[in-house]
Amino acid sequence: MTVNRRKKPASVNPMKIGQSLGAVLALQGCYRAMPLIHGSQGCSAFPKALLTRHFREPIAVQTSALQEMDVIFDANRNLEEALNLVLSKHRPDIIGIIGTELTDVAGVDYQNMLKTYKRERNMRGGLAFSVVLPDFRGSLESGFSSTVESMIDEMIQQVGHRGQRSMNTRQITLLPGSFLTPADVMELKELISSFGFEVIALPDISTSLSGHLLTGFSPLTRGGVPLDSMLQSLQSGLTIAVGGSMERPARRLHNAIGTPYKVFEGAMGLKATDELLHFLHQISGEPVPLRYCWQRENLLDSMLDAHFQFAGMSVLAALEPDHLYSVSGWLEELGVEQKALITSFETPLIAGMEREVWVGDLDDAEVLGKGADLWISNSHGIAGAQRIGAAFMPAGFPVWNELGAYMSVSVGYRGAMEWSNKAGNLLMQREADSRESSVRHR
Amino acid sequence: MDPLRQDEFDSQACGSIAPKAKPCPRPKPGEAAGGCSFDGAQITLLPIMDAAHLVHGPIACAGNSWESRGTLSSGPSLSQYGFATDLTDSDIIFGGEKKLKDSIDYIAGRFAPPAIFVYSTCVTALIGQDMDAVCKEAADRIGIPVIPVNSPGFVGSKNLGNRLAGDALLQYVIGTGEPEPETDLGVNLIGEYNIAGEMWDIEKLMNSAGIAVTSRITGDARYKEITWAHRARVNMVVCSRALLGLAKEMESRYGIPYFEGSFYGAKETTYSLRQMAYLMNDREMERRVDRLTEREEARLSQELRPYRKLLRGKRAVLYTGGVKSWSVISALKELGVQVVGVGTNKSTEDDVRRIADRVGDDTEYIPEGGASRIIKTVRERKADIMIAGGRNMYVAMKEQIPFIDINQERHKAYAGYEGLLRLAKELTYSLANPIWKLAASPAPWDKEAPPYDR
Repeated sequence: MTVNRRKKPASVNPMKIGQSLGAVLALQGCYRAMPLIHGSQGCSAFPKALLTRHFREPIAVQTSALQEMDVIFDANRNLEEALNLVLSKHRPDIIGIIGTELTDVAGVDYQNMLKTYKRERNMRGGLAFSVVLPDFRGSLESGFSSTVESMIDEMIQQVGHRGQRSMNTRQITLLPGSFLTPADVMELKELISSFGFEVIALPDISTSLSGHLLTGFSPLTRGGVPLDSMLQSLQSGLTIAVGGSMERPARRLHNAIGTPYKVFEGAMGLKATDELLHFLHQISGEPVPLRYCWQRENLLDSMLDAHFQFAGMSVLAALEPDHLYSVSGWLEELGVEQKALITSFETPLIAGMEREVWVGDLDDAEVLGKGADLWISNSHGIAGAQRIGAAFMPAGFPVWNELGAYMSVSVGYRGAMEWSNKAGNLLMQREADSRESSVRHR
Repeated sequence: MDPLRQDEFDSQACGSIAPKAKPCPRPKPGEAAGGCSFDGAQITLLPIMDAAHLVHGPIACAGNSWESRGTLSSGPSLSQYGFATDLTDSDIIFGGEKKLKDSIDYIAGRFAPPAIFVYSTCVTALIGQDMDAVCKEAADRIGIPVIPVNSPGFVGSKNLGNRLAGDALLQYVIGTGEPEPETDLGVNLIGEYNIAGEMWDIEKLMNSAGIAVTSRITGDARYKEITWAHRARVNMVVCSRALLGLAKEMESRYGIPYFEGSFYGAKETTYSLRQMAYLMNDREMERRVDRLTEREEARLSQELRPYRKLLRGKRAVLYTGGVKSWSVISALKELGVQVVGVGTNKSTEDDVRRIADRVGDDTEYIPEGGASRIIKTVRERKADIMIAGGRNMYVAMKEQIPFIDINQERHKAYAGYEGLLRLAKELTYSLANPIWKLAASPAPWDKEAPPYDR
């Protein structure tokens, strides 16, 4: 309906996250990859620390370690040095060069430099691409989807000239959005493959950031989708994108090699899951597997059980655009009042929403959501939730106050059930706490 | 703005006692680890809890880093707010000075902090904004100090950032206020950031010896107390790598004697307390310190006994920066833990000399090289435990090596006598945890002989 902004000069308690972090996250879902941030040391140290804190896994990332004089004279010399070192020492399959605000403002042309570098060294076999991601635009979500788009671009260029494409109609490329947890991606893969399809997730964080026990440490990513599978995904008969931001990469595949695509904007709740399963049922001709029929009933039953808890409650959600859209759809089904919806930046999906959305920060959330019973945001929101007396439910990125947050499921019937129970429990606990304190104070 | 990188500047940031010509080594592209100067400046200044800290730049510098440092507050929490000017394309093109000015006014009006620190970032430094002028003008207008911190990420390492923050304190804060008449003047603690509440343990100790803390620079500090730091009688530099220059400058400007010390380990703690009393030139206080340290050490050795038994002969690899590299060695030695490998990448020459004094000949020095290099040392030296920063924690977990977090993100305080006991406990818990055996043993079906020859 409307997208609003509160008028204030500074961002207070930002929920926005640098785009380059989204790029690093996307590359964690590729096997033997190395994201290389073209910027100063902090540009890679902060994302590394933050991602490590959220996923509780080592994170592969490197930097061109720009210093003042490098920026003034020749920033690409550092990049070349970094590339030489990374290539000779670790031999990654995939390299993503991620531009930052620093290189963007300084006007460094690293895209051309990479082209020359590849030509001069006759680089073949691997995948090396660059993506322009200044931090004064977008947020984690846009950084993630732009990176996937650039990756796809590079794949198409590498394979494109090899002539005829054989389409495999039993194979689906899944483009999971940045807000999905490793467990979510796993759930989606299972869901789609239960209809008899082969699924290639691009990127696939479900096998790299889900807490695998591959022993030994490597500076490159462990797990994730390997390069040959990535290239094979170009043969897929269909692309399924989850999250509005993933439409662009899906469209890119469509425009270049004609793969049809379907975008599922919401991924949470009964209706969204119904839609997905119904679609898969139609295109495969297979019946919906029994376990999902069961899960649907489980979900409805638990929503019936919980609806007493949600009656009359109001909720505030501050999340990245796609995630907010998803969560809002789920909240609709719970019948709670959506007191305030806050997001980090404006996207077409957000602009098209029927509800009022605010682009802002967690301070805006505090002001607009005053009186809300439940606060849903990343862990930065804990203090704000406390100040307005709302129960706090961590979601999105980063979450550090909860173990296993990266393994929580939000998609499918199972995910909706998990979230409904979690939110209900938090509200129940809050009620019990306030009852106890009112008894004590009498 | 003054030129940002001067060689002399750099060399001091690397911590040598006399400034030398050799600047900090340039980070190696493709193999660099650790934060930038902006990060360093924030580490030093964010513990000033009642001040507002405004980051002037695009969102990532603030958005990716706020609430990531383990410094604790006993009261005000304004410094835990993330403030950023959040520059966009058009701000970059047309200059963000107006936005900065408006942001300062907004924060002053809404939060009424005693001071506002404004941090430059790579982009605002690159487009040549006159932050100093904006800050000065704003300070005059709104009547509270607005302090520019010129430490953009690309000038260098975290350590240089610490040092630049110290310079900002010297230039704009220290000496601008006077203590209340009844204030008991004593010691400034410099470079102690109250990680996991360590400052509180230290202060309790000092108080029981009758030594007053004049200014905390900057763990759990209030802005006001730093303005009168020049009235202290002694400076103790807890993290010398970062803020030694500050102490030296205060000695020459205000005649305050300083010493470098540490609170890791009972011996170091006792030494530090004695040194304070000695430099205060107070016989009575020295006697009180002697009584206190004797009592505390006796009590500690009693309580440590069961843990010493378990820890004796265990081998550790220590990978941490600056002063902690040698001071933690002392603590570990007191517990009977042998340090078989130690990181020196962020240590000064003095630090390395102190390390050498404390470890045996068969200890390996790890000058650089990140995670793989540390793990190699752990394996080769058959270490039982790895002690390093949070960034390497999950690296150790992937290798199934017991681990203790020693850096700024941690949640356990290891300073003072209490801290040593806590460290002993943590080491024991970590080593004795059943997970190491469980994770190392395969699933039952993997133990069976293969059903057929493959």
